[in-house]
Amino acid sequence: MKENPTLHTKSPVSQLNRGLIYQGGALMLSLLFVAVIILLTGESPLHVVSALVDGAFGTPDQFARVFATLTPLVLCASGLIYTFTAGLYNLGVEGQIVIGAIASTLAIRVLQGQLPPPLVIAVSILAGTLGGVLWGLLAGALKVYGNISEIFAGLGLNFVAQGLAIYLIFGPWKRPGIASMSGTEPFDDAFALGRFGQTDAAPVALAIAVIVLVATIVIMRNTHFGLRLKAVGQNPRAAFILGMPSTRLLLSSFLVCGAFAGMAGSLQVVGLFHRLIPSISSNLGFLALLVVMLISFNAVWIAPVAFFFSALNVGSLQLPMALRMESSLSGVIQGMLVLFALLARGFSERNRKTRS
Amino acid sequence: MNIQLTHIYKRFGAVQANDDVSLDVEAGTIHGLLGENGAGKSTLVKMLSGFITRDSGEILLDGKSISVKTPADGIRSGVGMLHQDPLDFPPMSVLDNFINGRPGRLFIDRRSAVKEFKAIAEQFNFVIDTEEQVGLLTMGERQQLEIVRLLSLGVRTLILDEPTTGISASQKTALFAALKKLAKQGKSIIFVSHKLEDVEELCNNVTVMRAGKVVGSSAIPCATSKLVGMMFGRELATPVKPATSRTDTAIKIEGLTIGDDRMDVRVNDLSIKRGEVIGLAGLEGSGQRLFLLTCAGVLRPFAGKLMVNADGRLAEMTGKSYHQFQKAGVGYLPADRLREGLIWGLTIQEHVVLRTPSDGLFVNREASHSVAETAIKTFNIRGKTDTRVGQLSGGNQQRTQLALLPTPLNLVLMEHPTRGLDIESTIWVWQQLIMRCQGGTSIIFASSDLDEIVQYSDRVIVFSGGKVSEPIATAVLTASKLGEMIGGKFIGASAS
Amino acid sequence: MKLTIFKSMTALAAASLLISACGGAAPTAAPAATKAPEATKASEATKAPEATAATAKSAFKIGMILVGPYNDKGWNQANYEALDYVKAKLPGFTYDYVDKVNSADRPNTKGTQVADDLIAKGANMIIFDSDDFKDDALETAKKHPDIPVIHTSGDYSWKEGKNFKDQKNLINIMGQMEFTKMMAGCAAALGSQTGKIGFVGPLINEETRRLASSAFLGAKYCWTNILKKDAKALQFKVTWIGFWFNIPGVTLDPTKVADDFFNGGYDVVMSGIDTPEAATEAKKMVEAGKKVFYVHYDYKQGCDLAPDACLGSPYFNWGPAYLDAVKKAQAGTLTQSFTWNAPDWKNINDPDTSAVGFLPGKGLGDKSAQVDTLIKGLADGSINLYKGPLNYQDGSVFLKDGEKATEQQVWYLSQLMEGMEGASSAK
Repeated sequence: MKENPTLHTKSPVSQLNRGLIYQGGALMLSLLFVAVIILLTGESPLHVVSALVDGAFGTPDQFARVFATLTPLVLCASGLIYTFTAGLYNLGVEGQIVIGAIASTLAIRVLQGQLPPPLVIAVSILAGTLGGVLWGLLAGALKVYGNISEIFAGLGLNFVAQGLAIYLIFGPWKRPGIASMSGTEPFDDAFALGRFGQTDAAPVALAIAVIVLVATIVIMRNTHFGLRLKAVGQNPRAAFILGMPSTRLLLSSFLVCGAFAGMAGSLQVVGLFHRLIPSISSNLGFLALLVVMLISFNAVWIAPVAFFFSALNVGSLQLPMALRMESSLSGVIQGMLVLFALLARGFSERNRKTRS
Repeated sequence: MNIQLTHIYKRFGAVQANDDVSLDVEAGTIHGLLGENGAGKSTLVKMLSGFITRDSGEILLDGKSISVKTPADGIRSGVGMLHQDPLDFPPMSVLDNFINGRPGRLFIDRRSAVKEFKAIAEQFNFVIDTEEQVGLLTMGERQQLEIVRLLSLGVRTLILDEPTTGISASQKTALFAALKKLAKQGKSIIFVSHKLEDVEELCNNVTVMRAGKVVGSSAIPCATSKLVGMMFGRELATPVKPATSRTDTAIKIEGLTIGDDRMDVRVNDLSIKRGEVIGLAGLEGSGQRLFLLTCAGVLRPFAGKLMVNADGRLAEMTGKSYHQFQKAGVGYLPADRLREGLIWGLTIQEHVVLRTPSDGLFVNREASHSVAETAIKTFNIRGKTDTRVGQLSGGNQQRTQLALLPTPLNLVLMEHPTRGLDIESTIWVWQQLIMRCQGGTSIIFASSDLDEIVQYSDRVIVFSGGKVSEPIATAVLTASKLGEMIGGKFIGASAS
Repeated sequence: MKLTIFKSMTALAAASLLISACGGAAPTAAPAATKAPEATKASEATKAPEATAATAKSAFKIGMILVGPYNDKGWNQANYEALDYVKAKLPGFTYDYVDKVNSADRPNTKGTQVADDLIAKGANMIIFDSDDFKDDALETAKKHPDIPVIHTSGDYSWKEGKNFKDQKNLINIMGQMEFTKMMAGCAAALGSQTGKIGFVGPLINEETRRLASSAFLGAKYCWTNILKKDAKALQFKVTWIGFWFNIPGVTLDPTKVADDFFNGGYDVVMSGIDTPEAATEAKKMVEAGKKVFYVHYDYKQGCDLAPDACLGSPYFNWGPAYLDAVKKAQAGTLTQSFTWNAPDWKNINDPDTSAVGFLPGKGLGDKSAQVDTLIKGLADGSINLYKGPLNYQDGSVFLKDGEKATEQQVWYLSQLMEGMEGASSAK
């Protein structure tokens, strides 16, 4: 069977262009869709856009909040790059954040008063990271050894983690005399990461996120580990035949993702809430999943897309305030973007197949 | 139903799969369709049953020209096909499978369906529980289910593609009895096979195909040698591989039993010398792949021992992992390059990096670039270091696979090493491989190209439906002997 | 299938897509940004005359942060409607509010952040409406020392309290709901045939303990003193759901809790939460032919939900207190203070003077006159239900014979009362 060489050598360039057209189209379509939804609710899309922009960048507080949201989002998205690259849908990232937060809270509870506060904070972040690692590895072990889809393993572990957090908040760690949704007793200010002025943005947390992001970009581009993850993710069978240690690689990707998610959870505690609250993850793990789905595997795009999503998330508080609209509209916008981007990818892929 | 296929043509890309094929099958007869791999048998019957469409030619059923574009068209015209791997739904029950694919009524009448199923099954003494899950049936039972289903749909012509592979002897007897009964009822049967024995036992007539053409037909009984002559009617190519002079053993096998859910394969004691090339002949799916995967350490044998010569010493490898086999100098080159051998989206250079043992965290781009450049030059790959392997042509993918094989190696296992390659590439690939042999590497390869096997092997092992012959030295091999063995007749194929 | 999805993603994971995905996003964001000022200008333009007019008449804006929906027919609605009361009394007064500020409805949003935004939008005073906001209120007060921050139901500004935090601009306001809860409990006892009263409680804290206990004491008083029945024949059970309203998966479902009460022989269910599940379930039961009643909480019109099944509704009337606070703030005299406002005993339902009230329901019928005897006794001081001998739930002494509870003892009630079923503290 001879093959027609022209079929295969056909230009990556035209593919790139086609991809661009599809993605551009997807973006336009999703924006159009959202606009229609806004019009149906009786508002003007322009007002919505202006409220969102105003809500995200109107005051230094809000701008800082965008960065405070960006931090865990970048951390989780960076972590998810590893699992996605390895071909895994790590839906357990939410639970990994929560366990990170729990471990971090535990560390502060145990160590406060025993060590100097900065050291406590450092240990607490480390503990959070380890907690996330543990939870990530658990999902990985269920996948690799238990043959349970990581999607279900992750979702199951999310429930367990969330349940544990609520149990602790309403049980052993409740505030004196009260068990409340507002969380555990806030820690002393000494155990909080320093912030820009009185805003919610903690420079150290942001720096950690930046370091993790840069490291992720470098690892994915330049290391054996990154390349092997790619190989396993794209074709586990061939990677195995080529001699990759598939099991170890899969587990490592869970480990790294868990570590970053745990770190994010920890920073939610020491950087933002200063206590454990029931929704400590703020659903940012799921938002990170959307970010990574939108950008596929390329860590370089995490920063801009996560920034955009953070701004949307923070800005959406203005919707009820200024327009009496549901702030969940921002979720609709994000969902639409991702859905259409995936659709465009699917169409583009199908076209590629039918052509060859 | 009388079937007439006249002047059928079908081309897949560069391959003329059917080239002016005509076939007559009379109602009430069983017609054998014989031929080696890629002769075009399956293509022909798939066009008749509507699984693929023909380029030109005519199909006449009872003298009426029909057009079949889908399997449903086929069924409507009364033609049903039983595939080698049954097209059923394993997680569903027998009854649900039976009901599926029947002309759509809105509501399912299960009781009458059960009745109908039992009525047909009893005719042929098929015993299947309608509530059993299909996935738990044996291959033979699944076949029976499919036959009952097709008959209930009013099929008057039944096509069977290699039906005797993977079923038990008693199931085979039952199947043959059923087919004969069907023929008596006036149905026409087309029996696609490579097994001479089966064809001789069952069929009234036989047509032999080779390279997309009909090369002859005959009534049964007829001399086996005549059929073999038609199937493999040519001189065997002359061996080109220099004889092996070494005497030290590269791999030693003691009574290996291997298998999957379709078949069990037993390989007798076998010892392969360093530098020796063993060709595995036989129809695809007769156990060659299982054997190769076992030698590579990907599959674990049910029983038996496997020893590999690593560092001048025979080391027991049974039960060891694939990675340990790799460490012991065993290399495996899969046939399905993009599914098993290479990673579509990665570049040639990235593959080089994956293959290089990593020293340190970071990828050494300069080093891997120059290795990839050298490989591209040495192996004459038409691509650049940053070309994704998915964009390479098949031949260049194969060259890439070869280039990625580590050096030195004790044993190379290959499936269809030159499939899809042009003549020059084929010759070039084998030059490379023979050079490796001269360095002491042994090769075991499976191929459906008999010429390739005869040209490059020292010894040949024939696989046929799970049976494995003793190795035969290429020097004493004749075309007819090889043909008979591939057809399942092992008599006289003693060890050389 | 996952593999194929993945392969397809991989196949086109080419940077191209990403470039386009994000490259596309940026330019659309940009025009939006440039258009934003225009849009705001436009909307401001329409609002401008109003605003200037307001400034002329001493403009004042409250920013209110509600923990639940503004229309919950309970706590949050009562707070929200107080804003309209103030607006009707004060020309030039405006307000902004954000409701559902809790981590389940608005993840990634803290009370302080909402307060920051409200202040940025011109609020001169902030009201946090829930006990759960105590940390947020304090933090906001610290961050914006010039803005009075009112925290209803909190105690950080109570010098004589246990949790005093010296923050000059933090103000606590609360109504003495204990009295009206007693009336509600009394109504429940009068309405009950079985003597089994269920109480759907929110989370367990000092406030909820004292409210549940007050209801119990009211019920016990009327059961024994008015109906002359045996105290032992009265069952009063509290089931805590875990929060002020239903959060699926986090709290118990109040609908189910109310149902369980009704099906378990409790013919009166008192609500202690912000939302009207007890009322809706009672309505269903009555429609199904059962003779059951509910006592609402926290909303003046609570009995409108199912009039025939309603025994009454104790409610907060925040309007006068908020009006007073705004006036003081405008005069610059609103500073750190803790006010626990009593009902206006002359007319507990006077919208301009009474901080809490109780409206009897149709289901109570002419027995409301018997509640009035309790009200009268409470008003003239002849009845004091927090007077010894009174024991805690575990049997230990709360008040010795003749001892009257102090404000602190009531506010920081550490246990339920003897005779009540249900948890005194979260496990």
